[in-house]
Amino acid sequence: MSGTTASGVATPPRPPSGTRPVVALVGPPNSGKTTLFNQLTGLRQKVANYPGVTVEKHVGGLATPAGDIEIVDLPGVNGFSTRTLDEKVTRDVLEGRIEGLRAPDALVLTVDCTRLEPQLMLVEPVLELGIPTLLVLTMADELTSRQGELDDARLAERLGVEVTRANARSGEGLDAVRTFLEHVAHRGPMPERPCPVISNVPQGMALPVVDAFAERRRIVREAGEHARYRRPQPDADTRRIDSVVLHRFWGPLVFLAVVILVFQAIFTWAVPFMDGVEAAIAVSGGWIASVLPDIWLRDLLVDGVWAGVGSVIVFLPQILILFLFIGILEDSGYMARAAVIADRSMYRVGLQGRAFLPLLSAYACAIPAILAARTVEDERDRMATIFVAPFMTCSARLPVYALLIAAFIPERPLLGPVLGTRAATLLGLYALGALAAVLTAFVLKRTLLRGKPSSFLMELPPYRLPTPKSLFLRLWDRTGVFLKRAGTIILGVTVVLWFLTQVPRGIDGGPPPLEQSALGQAGQVVEPVIAPLGYDWKIGVGLISSLAAREVIVGTLGTIYGVEDAGEDSPGLQERLRQDLDLGSAVGLLIFFVFALQCMSTVAVMRRETAGWKWPALQFGYMLGLAWLGAWAANALL
Amino acid sequence: MTDPATEAVPTRRAPRGGVHPQPSVERTDLRLTDISLDEVVELVRFEMPDDQIEPLLERGVLPGCRLCPVRRSPSGDPIVEVDGVMLALRRETAGCICVKRFAAAAD
Repeated sequence: MSGTTASGVATPPRPPSGTRPVVALVGPPNSGKTTLFNQLTGLRQKVANYPGVTVEKHVGGLATPAGDIEIVDLPGVNGFSTRTLDEKVTRDVLEGRIEGLRAPDALVLTVDCTRLEPQLMLVEPVLELGIPTLLVLTMADELTSRQGELDDARLAERLGVEVTRANARSGEGLDAVRTFLEHVAHRGPMPERPCPVISNVPQGMALPVVDAFAERRRIVREAGEHARYRRPQPDADTRRIDSVVLHRFWGPLVFLAVVILVFQAIFTWAVPFMDGVEAAIAVSGGWIASVLPDIWLRDLLVDGVWAGVGSVIVFLPQILILFLFIGILEDSGYMARAAVIADRSMYRVGLQGRAFLPLLSAYACAIPAILAARTVEDERDRMATIFVAPFMTCSARLPVYALLIAAFIPERPLLGPVLGTRAATLLGLYALGALAAVLTAFVLKRTLLRGKPSSFLMELPPYRLPTPKSLFLRLWDRTGVFLKRAGTIILGVTVVLWFLTQVPRGIDGGPPPLEQSALGQAGQVVEPVIAPLGYDWKIGVGLISSLAAREVIVGTLGTIYGVEDAGEDSPGLQERLRQDLDLGSAVGLLIFFVFALQCMSTVAVMRRETAGWKWPALQFGYMLGLAWLGAWAANALL
Repeated sequence: MTDPATEAVPTRRAPRGGVHPQPSVERTDLRLTDISLDEVVELVRFEMPDDQIEPLLERGVLPGCRLCPVRRSPSGDPIVEVDGVMLALRRETAGCICVKRFAAAAD
C-alpha cells in the first residue's frame, strides 16, 4: 500500500514483513481510547489471544502512505500496580513481554482533558518511557463548553511529547493522529533495546508508594500550571441526573426499572430474532443435506456441526440485545452509578458493586460474564464473581426448563390471573440459582477466598450520550468474541458426541442403534450413579450430551425416544418423558440443571481467565455435587 | 485556577490561601465520614493497608489533596469530588481517611 505514497514523504525502505512498527494505544478507562482505535482501524481489527496470556488484546493493521503499522488497543487502566489482569497485560505489552508482539515503537496516549490532572496521573509512568509519544486530548469540545482552558503547545513543551486534540465522536483532529502514525511508519521499527520497566513506583527509588504518587502529582500539577490549565465547571446536567439516579428513594427504583427493562429485552424482544435464526439454521441445514451425497460426512456436517453450532448461534440475538443495553448503560455513564447502588448489598454477600455488570450478563450467558469480571479490581472478588456467575440462569437452560415444566407441571392459576403454577416454577428456578450464587459467594469469601475486606472505588464519569457508531462497533466486537469462543468449543464437543453415536460400526457398516453406540454405553455406565435420582440410561445420555451445551439434551432425548421434530413444545417428547420420569425425578432434573455446570465452553473460558485447571475443576465438581444432591432430595421427597 | 493544595497547606485563612513552609503530618481524629456535604477538607493521612491505599493514590487521592463530599449514595456511602472527578467510596474506606478542615484550622 506504499504505492500511494503522498507527495513530500520519501518512500522509506520497507521493513521486512513481520516487523511492522507497533504503536500501542494507552489510556485510562473512559478516555475515548477505543473509539479512537476503531476510527483508525475501522473493522479491520482482530481480537488476538497470545499464548500464555489470558486477556484479549485488540490488534489492528493500518496502512499509512509511508508503510504499514500495527496498532494495539490496550485495556483502559487506572495504574500499573498489576492489581488487575488488565493492568498486567498493559504492562506486559508496554514492556515487550508478550510473545509474538514487539515492544511498542511509539505510543498514542488518550486523555480526557476535562479531567486532565487525574488522567495524566494515571499515565504519567508511560511518559517516562522515552519513546515517541502522541498525547491525544479527547473531549476537548466539552472542556470549552464548560469554560475550561488549556494551552496544548505549552503542555507539549512541558511534557516533551506531541499533543493534539481529537474529537473521536466527530472524527475531528484525526488527521494529526494519522500524520503521527505516518511518521512512525516512516521511521520503521526501532532497534532492539532492553525491556523498559513500568510501575507505579519508579525503579531504583526506595520510596514509600505515597511519596512516589506525591511526586507524580507534583509533575502533573506543574505541567497543568505551565499549560495554563483551567478545570471546567462541573457538568450541570450530570448533577441534576445524579440527584435523581443516586437519590435515596428514587435511585433504587430507577435501578430496579433498568434491571427489569434489561430482562424484558433479553427474554421477550429477542424471541422473534431467535426464532428467525433457528429457522435459518434449519433451512440451511436442510439445504446442505440436499446438495451433499449421502455419506457419513453429510451426517457429520448436518447433524453434528450444523445442529450443534447452530444451537449456540441461536443465542446470539439475545447476547447482542444484552450487549446493546450494556453498551448504552456503560457509554452513558449509568453503569458506574448502578455499581455504586448495588455495592452495599453485594458487599454483604462477599461480592462488590463492580460484579453487578458481569452477573447481569450471566443471565444471558456465563461466557461474556466471566470475561466481564475482569473489571472487578480486587482479585479475590473477581474469582468469587467468576465462580458464582454460572449459577445465574443463562438462556441455555430455558429450553430445558420449558420442556420439563410443560411436561410435568400442570397449569393452574396461583395468584389469580397474574401468576400460574408454570410461571411460578420458572421464577422459582431463577430464584434458586440466585440463592445458590449468594450462598456460594458468602461461603467462598469465608473459606477459600478469605482475606482482608476488599475495597471499592468507582469513578462516576459525567453523563454522555452514547453514539450509534460506538454501540455498533461494540456489538460487532462482542459478536466476534462470542462466536469464536463458543463456536470453537461447541464445534469440538458436538463433533466428538456425534462420533460417539456412530461407533462401533455394525456388521453392515452402518451406525449402531443408539443403545449400543459408544454414547449409549456411556449412558449405561453412568446409570448406577444417577439411578438414585430416578433416571435411567436414556437421561444419562442426555446429561452427557448436555455437557456440550445444556439445551442439547432436548435434541438428544428427541433422538433417543425416536421423536421426530423434538423441541421443547413437542407433545410426543413430553409424553415419552412422562413414561420414564415421575414428578419427583422431573423436578429433580430441573434442579439438576439449575446447579450443574453443564457447559464446556464456560469451563474452557474459566480455565483461561483463572490461568489453570484448579478453579474450573473445583467449580465443576462443586456444582455437580450440588446438582446431584438437589436432584436426589427432590426425588426422595416428592 | 490550578489547585495549589499539594504544595501548600493553607492555615487559618481562606482555603486557597497562604503557603506553609513545612507540610507536617498532623494528629487529627477527624475522618472523611465526619464531614458534611459540600464542605471542602484536606486529606491528612490514610489509616489502612498500603494495597488498599494504592487505588486511591492512582486517582489522585493523596495527602494534601482537597476532598469534598458532594452526595451520599442510597446506601449512605460517600461520593466525593477530588480534582473535578467524582469518586464513590465505601464508608469503611472513608472512615480510614483522616482529614482536616480549612476553616477549623484556626485555634
